[in-house]
Amino acid sequence: MKKMIITCATAALLATSSVAQEAPKSVDQVARPGGTLPGNSEIALVQVASGFLDPTNVANAGDGSGRIFVTERAGRVRIIDKDGNVLEDPFLDLTAINPLGSDVQTGFVEQGLYSIAFDPKFGENGHFYVHYASLPFNGDGMIVRFTVDPASPDMVSPERTNETAKVIMRIEQPWYNHNGGQIEFGPDGMLYIGSGDGGWEGDPYEAGQDLNTPLGKILRIDVNTEDRPYKIPADNPYADASSERLMQLFGITEEQFSKIKTRSLPEIWSYGVRNPYEFSFDPKTGNMFIADVGQNHWEEIIFEKAGDGGHNYGWPRMEAAFCHPMTGDPAGSECSVVGTLPAAMYPHNTAFPGAPEDTSNAGCSVQGFGVANYGGMDGVYLAGDWCSGRVFGLANDGSGWQLQELIQTGMQFTAGGYDEDNNVLVVNANNFYLADQGPDTNPPGSLWRVMATADVPEGATLAKTAN
Amino acid sequence: MFSRLYFVPPMLIATALAFSTGMSLAESHSTAADMAEDVPADVEFADGKVVFRSALDSEPMEFAYRTEQTLTTQVEEFYKTGINPYAGDPDAIEAGAKQYKKLCQSCHLKEGVGRIGPTLNDDKWERPRTHTEVGRFEIIYGGGAGAMQAFGRRIDQDSILKTMAYIDTFRTAQ
Repeated sequence: MKKMIITCATAALLATSSVAQEAPKSVDQVARPGGTLPGNSEIALVQVASGFLDPTNVANAGDGSGRIFVTERAGRVRIIDKDGNVLEDPFLDLTAINPLGSDVQTGFVEQGLYSIAFDPKFGENGHFYVHYASLPFNGDGMIVRFTVDPASPDMVSPERTNETAKVIMRIEQPWYNHNGGQIEFGPDGMLYIGSGDGGWEGDPYEAGQDLNTPLGKILRIDVNTEDRPYKIPADNPYADASSERLMQLFGITEEQFSKIKTRSLPEIWSYGVRNPYEFSFDPKTGNMFIADVGQNHWEEIIFEKAGDGGHNYGWPRMEAAFCHPMTGDPAGSECSVVGTLPAAMYPHNTAFPGAPEDTSNAGCSVQGFGVANYGGMDGVYLAGDWCSGRVFGLANDGSGWQLQELIQTGMQFTAGGYDEDNNVLVVNANNFYLADQGPDTNPPGSLWRVMATADVPEGATLAKTAN
Repeated sequence: MFSRLYFVPPMLIATALAFSTGMSLAESHSTAADMAEDVPADVEFADGKVVFRSALDSEPMEFAYRTEQTLTTQVEEFYKTGINPYAGDPDAIEAGAKQYKKLCQSCHLKEGVGRIGPTLNDDKWERPRTHTEVGRFEIIYGGGAGAMQAFGRRIDQDSILKTMAYIDTFRTAQ
């Protein structure tokens, strides 16, 4: 009997945890700034290295080398060795592989080399993948696999780059913004791709809700193949939805009819995102967080349980938890929620058209870092804002989602990632829109490691924060 | 020289009078102590100069950017007085307008109505100290937060003062 009680209690606990780790069911459950994270950890950003030109992302190779790889917007990948030294020669240089000039389009500040991902078997096969705006293809997103020469582990020569290039995907881009960017392998070994809505504003393509375009989506593909660019994972939500079949009119349920999507793309994992420039998997649980950059009024962070694809995150019907387009105070309007709500959101300086300016808790562009499971943090998703320099933490305390501003820095964040020990890394750049002086001429940015304040080593260089 | 002034704080009128009577700016503001009643109380002086503070943490600001630049007499004057000598100067405003369009307008929009960056056309300031010219200089030179980066890395301090003179016209035009 006692054993049964214990078993029931354990089951109840698991059930509680399971229920808690879900997307909000109603708008009032969507976390906003002002929450308190479990453990109430204090964090600091410790400088790992500096001098990067428009750094756009960071990753590790997972090969035990302790190396950290920082992508620079112009098209270079820099290595920081296990001792914190930035190697002089770039690991990869996409500006040097095309005899007619760079292969990377950087004409607009949102364009360039977006991200790098290392094959889960990188230590064996040397494969890594990059996503960048292609100059020859007028800014189209190129996802390309290259292979390291084992005799030259820290530098892929231009010749080697060209010899080993395998184009995985080209994503046509109608405009020069919202094109990025993150690519990352999930715990399931599949390659996930954050694909923006293609740009301009307001999603003129209606891409977010159109299952016939890769834009405005999270894509999921299986690159573990040599005879074609990639395979469609059989458990993708629309893997078979558009396959040809004979028509049957009768004896089919409405639910069965609803699974026939003759124009859907089988690569789609989830849809209705605007600019998922950064997303991260929790190394502990496999859960996914998507930092989906908002438009004029709200930034949002999406929670997706591990392996739970097929969600519609609402864009452009929704902006965060509100109906889009916003025409006034959402409290005074009635509209139905479309799709799955984000776990958290924070406002811009004006939370809706006509709202009084309020810069407290505000930002303009959410950049995801990663999920921290150390320093007193348990499943805390960290994200920073490109405009306000704020760093937010998002976690579920069992009763709901909590969004807490952790530090106010002076930095302009671009992305984050992990080192091989799953410490969260962050890069900041110093570029912006109108006065973009080019990816190699802006003031350089840095690489930072998120640490609990109590664990910061003596003598470390810390990011300045507001008192 | 000051015919295009929209609104002239008392100190600027004094400055204008000083010019018109042939006095130099330095002569018109002989000591920091003289300035005390004209400069907002939250601006401090030490050794005859303004104590500039970082917008983020209020620590004393270091002038580490573009160290090769020539500090004009107007910049030196600003260090001593905390008052922008270019305020209301049509030529400076014209030069500042060019910088504003190049560096500031993408976020603060035309005439400072604000979008990504806060509004600049009213007297509401996110950082209280920004109601002073010293506070505005600090935030432009040393950066505020995020996209409001340290523009002292991109332009000389003299250009910052001219840009501030142009930004002033957004409020005085209201």
